Amino acid sequence: MSWVAIILTFALVDNVILSRLLGVEAAAFAPGGMRAAAGVGGFIAVLMAVSAVGGWAVDSQVLMPLGFTLLRTPVFVFFVAGLAFALRAICVRFLPSVLQAAGVSIPEIAVNTAALGLVLITTRGEYTALESLVAGLAAGAGYFFVTAMMMAISERLEVEPVPRALKGFPLQLITAGLIAYAFMAFDRAFLARVLGG
Amino acid sequence: MTSGKALWNSILSENPLALLFLGLCPAIAVSVRVIDALWMSAGVILVLVLSGLAMALLSGESAGAEAVFAPGGAESATARGSLAAGWMRALLITSFLTASFEAGLLALAPTASAALGIYAPLIAVNCLVRGRGMSGFPHSSPGGSMAAALGRGIGFAGSLVLIALVREALGAGTITLFPVGGFGGTIGIPILVEQPVRALGFAGGGLLCLGYLAGAARLISPHAAASSASGRAAE
Repeated sequence: MSWVAIILTFALVDNVILSRLLGVEAAAFAPGGMRAAAGVGGFIAVLMAVSAVGGWAVDSQVLMPLGFTLLRTPVFVFFVAGLAFALRAICVRFLPSVLQAAGVSIPEIAVNTAALGLVLITTRGEYTALESLVAGLAAGAGYFFVTAMMMAISERLEVEPVPRALKGFPLQLITAGLIAYAFMAFDRAFLARVLGG
Repeated sequence: MTSGKALWNSILSENPLALLFLGLCPAIAVSVRVIDALWMSAGVILVLVLSGLAMALLSGESAGAEAVFAPGGAESATARGSLAAGWMRALLITSFLTASFEAGLLALAPTASAALGIYAPLIAVNCLVRGRGMSGFPHSSPGGSMAAALGRGIGFAGSLVLIALVREALGAGTITLFPVGGFGGTIGIPILVEQPVRALGFAGGGLLCLGYLAGAARLISPHAAASSASGRAAE
C-alpha cells in the first residue's frame, strides 16, 4: 500500500470513529467546549500515533520471536496504558495549560479503545514500523478532526429545539451516525480515483 | 442489597448500554449480525462475572481504584500508590480473562473469532467491564458481586441483541443464529430479504440505532435521564 493510500485509509476511509467505531465514547463524552475537546482529541491522537509504532516494536521484536502471541491483549493493554501515563507526564511538564483546559481523565484515556484498537489493526495487518507510524499519525489526525467536528455540531445543536429524551448523548450518537453516512463518500472508489487506479 | 435486587437493577434500571452508555464500541461494531452479538455478549458476561468475583475476593484492596487519578481523589502518596496498584491489578485480571476468552473462542469457534476480529480483545478495556471490574461492587459478598455483574452482563446482552436484531432484520432481511442439525442458522424475512434497508448495516446505522434506543429507554424509564448521567459518572 502506498503512503498516500495509508494516510487516506486511516484518516478518512477507515476513520477510527466513524468506520471502525473505536473511541466513540471518548469522542462523544468529550468535555464541553471546543478547546477542551481539541485537547482531549489531540492527546488521544498523539497517543494513537505513538502506540501504533510502539505496538509494532513490541509485537514484532518481543511477542512474535518468543511465540507469546496469545499474550498480545494483556501486553498491548498495559503498553498503551503506560504510554498514556508517560504522555500525561510529558504534558504536565511542558504543556500544563493544555492538559488542565482539556480536563484529561487518564484512567479513561489510558484504556481508550481507539489507541488499543489501532495497535491491534496495525499488528494484525502486518504493517512495517514506518507504515505503523504513518497509519498512527493519519488515524490520530482523523480522530482529532471528527472529535472537533462533533463538538462544533453539538454546540450548534444546544440552541436548537430537541426532544428531551434525545438531549445529550443520544443526540451525539445520532449526529455521529449522520456524519458516518457522509463519510461513506470516502470509500474504496474514492481511494482508487485519488490514486489514479 | 440482595443478590436478586442487584441482578434486577442491573438489567433494567441501570441498563449499561441503553442508559449508562457503557461498552459502546463493540456494541455498535458487532451488532450487524445477531450471532456476532451473541458471541460478544458471551465474552462480556464471562469476563464481567469472573472479574467481578475476583475483585470481590480482593475487595478493600482495589475498591474505588479509579478514584486515584480523579481530582480530589486520594490525597496521601501511600493511598494513591495502593489504589494505583489496585487499578493495575484489576486491569491485569480483565485483560488476562479476555485473552483466555479469545483463545477459547479461537479454538472452539474460529469463524466467530474471525467475525469479532479486533473487538474481542477490546473487551478488556470495555467501559462496562472496566467500570465494574475495577471498582468491583463495594461491600458486596462474592455472590452478590457476581449477581450484580451477571445482571449488568445480561442487560448489556439484551440491548446488544436488540440492536443487532433491528439492524440485521431491517438491514439484511435475515436473522443469523447458530446452525443446529438441519437448520442452517439463517432465517430469511419475506419482503425485507429482497428489499433490505442496507444503510442500517453500515457503521452509521449502528450509531443511529443506539442513539434512538437510548432515547426510547429514557422515555420508558422515568428516572433514566438523571440516572444515566450520574450512573456513567460513577463508572
